Amino acid sequence: MSAQMSTELKAEPNLTPLLDVVFQLITFFMLMINFSSDNYDRRITLPVAGSARPIEDDRQVDEDRLVLNIDKDGHLLMGGEVQPIHQAVQTIKRQADLIKLNLKAAGKKLDTSGSLPTTIVLRADRDTSFSSVHELIKACQSNGFRKFALKAMNS
Amino acid sequence: MQIAPMLDMAFQLLTFFILTYHPMPQEGQFLMNLLPAIPSTSSAEAASDAASDKLPAELRTLPTTLKAGPGGSLGEIIVGEQAVPTTPAELEKELDKYLQDPTLPFDQTVLKVDPNLKYSELMRVINAFSNSFQRAKKPPNISFEELPPGA
Repeated sequence: MSAQMSTELKAEPNLTPLLDVVFQLITFFMLMINFSSDNYDRRITLPVAGSARPIEDDRQVDEDRLVLNIDKDGHLLMGGEVQPIHQAVQTIKRQADLIKLNLKAAGKKLDTSGSLPTTIVLRADRDTSFSSVHELIKACQSNGFRKFALKAMNS
Repeated sequence: MQIAPMLDMAFQLLTFFILTYHPMPQEGQFLMNLLPAIPSTSSAEAASDAASDKLPAELRTLPTTLKAGPGGSLGEIIVGEQAVPTTPAELEKELDKYLQDPTLPFDQTVLKVDPNLKYSELMRVINAFSNSFQRAKKPPNISFEELPPGA
């Protein structure tokens, strides 16, 4: 009699609330995961500027952008390579040529000044000298880039 | 219903997302239209200024020189022809005098920057200009030039 009672009394915990919480956490992390962070090199320490506007609030920046990461020695970090300045200039020229080809293929024409619609996103290390940054800006300008976004930390 | 396997899988997924989660720090940006350096007295620009009933660009431009100190720090700032303090608060106060005065025509600036100046110091000055332009209700129109070495 007592043996029959012990088999009937099963104490199973209710796992449903736990599962709910776990799924909520999974959903949170899935939404927060940033797949677009490939262009953002963690070797770069950005300077701090309080009035730099957050990207979310800005509707002026086009989707079409080219990110240039510049390390403290003035080298361009692109595609897993560390490129010295002369190589970086060639890379920028190649990128500009590609953008022009894409525009041509899409049937779009450049404006009379020949400026490209792409925004150059400049992520330069805080310890980079101005001459390195300026060299790259000049290379971009001579290849038709006019729009620049200089990145900084908000705080 | 046996939900233990599903819970196992959910925990595996959760572990994966926790381990691969790297929150991006909050980044901001200064948007600029930087044109290549051209002579300020070009006929096209003069014609456009005449058409828009504006003063010539060279008269509307507040020239600012940034000289580097030791280690690429900000050594000296010269606005117009006058040296101004390099601390952010005092610099902004000085810039406000130029940009908020209705009798002065300045609505843009050219930063002539020492090639050895650190980028963080340049951004500090851009930040001050951006704040002052904002207070003066003018669009922040900033461009760069490199000072010749030893200037």
